[in-house]
Amino acid sequence: MPENHRSAALARRDFMGALLGAAAALRMVRLVPLAAAFPGVSSRPVVSFHLDRPYLDRSGTALPYYPPPGARSAQIFSNLDEESVRRKHCYL
Amino acid sequence: MVDFSNEPTMKGFFAPTRFEADVYDCEVIGRVPTELNGAFVRLGGDWLYPPRFDDDSPFSMDGYINMFRFKNGIVDYKGRWVKTPRFKADLAAHKQLFGKYRNPFTDDPSVRALDRSVQNTTPLAFAGRLFTLKEDSLPYEIDCNTLETVGPYNFHGKYKSLTFTAHPKVDPVSGELICYGYEATGLESNDVFLYTINKQGEVTRELRFKVPYVSMVHDIGLTQKHVIIPVFGFVTSMERLKEGKVHWGWDSTKPAYVGIVPRDGEAKDIRWFKGPERATVHTLNARTEGEKVILEAPIYDSNPFPFFPPVDGSKWDPTKAKAYIRRNTFNLASKDDGFTEEKLFEMNVSDLGRVDDRYLTMPYRYAFTAYSDKQRPFDQWKAGNLGGRVNNCYGRFDLATGRMNSYFAGDTHSLQEVCFVPRKNGAEGEGYIIGMASNYAEMRSELVIADAQHLEEGDVVRVILPFRATAQVHGRWVDESDLPFA
Ligand SMILES: [Fe+2]
Repeated sequence: MPENHRSAALARRDFMGALLGAAAALRMVRLVPLAAAFPGVSSRPVVSFHLDRPYLDRSGTALPYYPPPGARSAQIFSNLDEESVRRKHCYL
Repeated sequence: MVDFSNEPTMKGFFAPTRFEADVYDCEVIGRVPTELNGAFVRLGGDWLYPPRFDDDSPFSMDGYINMFRFKNGIVDYKGRWVKTPRFKADLAAHKQLFGKYRNPFTDDPSVRALDRSVQNTTPLAFAGRLFTLKEDSLPYEIDCNTLETVGPYNFHGKYKSLTFTAHPKVDPVSGELICYGYEATGLESNDVFLYTINKQGEVTRELRFKVPYVSMVHDIGLTQKHVIIPVFGFVTSMERLKEGKVHWGWDSTKPAYVGIVPRDGEAKDIRWFKGPERATVHTLNARTEGEKVILEAPIYDSNPFPFFPPVDGSKWDPTKAKAYIRRNTFNLASKDDGFTEEKLFEMNVSDLGRVDDRYLTMPYRYAFTAYSDKQRPFDQWKAGNLGGRVNNCYGRFDLATGRMNSYFAGDTHSLQEVCFVPRKNGAEGEGYIIGMASNYAEMRSELVIADAQHLEEGDVVRVILPFRATAQVHGRWVDESDLPFA
C-alpha cells in the first residue's frame, strides 16, 4: 500500500476506534432519545452523512444530508451556441 | 496517454464513458410488459481516444453496440465496443491513428492499408444474424448473445459493393432486404449498387447505376413497386480530401435529385426528378399509387450538419437546419422532371422518425418521431440550459387527420430516436414506443416505454441504467424469433 494511502487508512482506523470507544462508554449510561427530551425534534429516520458515505440515521440527532440538486450535467453547454453544440452532439 | 481535457464539449453528461458493461436484471420503474420478448438494440458511438482533429465529425466515433434483452418481464443490459481493425489498431497504439470522417489522407501513415470504418450507425437483424451498419463499409456481423464482433460480412461473396447503407429496408410482404451501397467501387465513385437479398440471406438481384453527382445517399424510400433514391446537397471530391477536409461539404447550388427505379427495372429505367435545395437524410415511408410515387419524410430545408460545412465558406445556418414532415409526389406520367412538395405538419421535428414497419411500402396512417416542445418545463437548475434545444417529447403524427399525440419525458430529460414495437396481430399503431432518455439531473440513461395509443398517459415503465449510456444514432427492436437468442 502506498505510504500516503496507508497513513490515511491508519487515521481513519484511529478515528473509528475512537468512535467505537465512545459508543461503548455511552452504553453504560441510560440514553434518553433526543426526540423525547426535546419535543419537536423528529425521531424519524433521516439520511445523514458520515465518513464520506450517506447512512440512515435513526437516532433523531443527525443532521439530514441533502445531496446537490442534480449534477448540472448539461451546464457545460451554457455558453455555447447552436452550432457548437450540434458540431459534437448532433443527436442529443 | 488518454487525455480528454482539451475536448470542451466532452464533459459532464457528454464525457466519453469508454467501458463495456453488463447489468443483470435492470432496475425498473413501472412494470415491463411481458409481451415484449426480444431485444432493443442500440448502435452509436463513443470515443476510445480523442479525435485527431478538432473539426472532425461525431460520425467518426468508435462504434458501440448495446442491447436491452427483454425476457418474461426481466431486462438485462449489455454494452460492447464494435471491435473493428481500426479499434484494435488504435488500442494497440494507445492513440487515435485515424483522421477525419471518410478521409484516409488524414490518417497516420501506419494504418493506410486498414479498413478505417467505425461501425456506429444502425443495428440490423436479418436472416438470423445481427449486424452493425456504417455506410462507408461492409456490414459487421455481431454475436447476438455476447455482442462480440465476428467481422465483416459480404453475403457469401455475392454482395459486391464496397459499402453498405445504414438504412436497408425489409419488405414486410416478401421478407426481402432491399439494400445498396453508394461510392460502391471506391472513394469518390458515383456508382450505386442496389441489391435484393431474400429472407434466407441470399443475394437474388443486383442493379448497378450512377448518381448525378457523388453525394450522401443515407436512406431510400421503398414501395411495393419502386425504389426512391434521394441525392442532395452534400458534395465531395478527391481534391477536398487531399486538402485534408472532412468527406462532405454542403453546396447550396446543387439541386436535390430524387431517382425512382422500378424494383425489377434496369439502370436505363431510372427517372431522375429535380427539386430545390433540401436534405432528405431519413425517410418515413413510401408507396406507389397508379402512376404516382409518394414519399413521406422529415426533410430539412438545408444542411443539417455543421460539421459538414458549406463549401462556399459561409457559416452554417441553424435556422435552415430544421426538418418538417413533408410529402413528395412524383408523377411517372409527367413529361418534366419536377415534383410536388407538401408540408404535412407546421412543427419541426427530429428527422429520426419511424413507422409501424409492418406497413412499410404500403399506405399507412401513423408516423412517430421526437420533437422539442418549448412550452414544456425544463429544470435548468438541475439539468443545464438545454431547455428548448433538446427533444423532450415523442409524437405520434396521424397523417389521416393531421393530429398529433405526445409523450413527455420529464423536465430534466431529452429523448433519442424513437422506435415502434407492434403488438402481435394488432392493428397499425397498436403497441409500444420505446427509446432512450438522457436524465441530465441524475447523470444516467433511462429506457422509456409507452403505450403508443396512450402517449399522454406517460410511460408504462422506465428501465434504469446506473450510468450514462453511449450516444445512439439508431436503435431497433428485434423480436425473440428473429435471432438465435440464448
Ligand atoms: Fe440514419
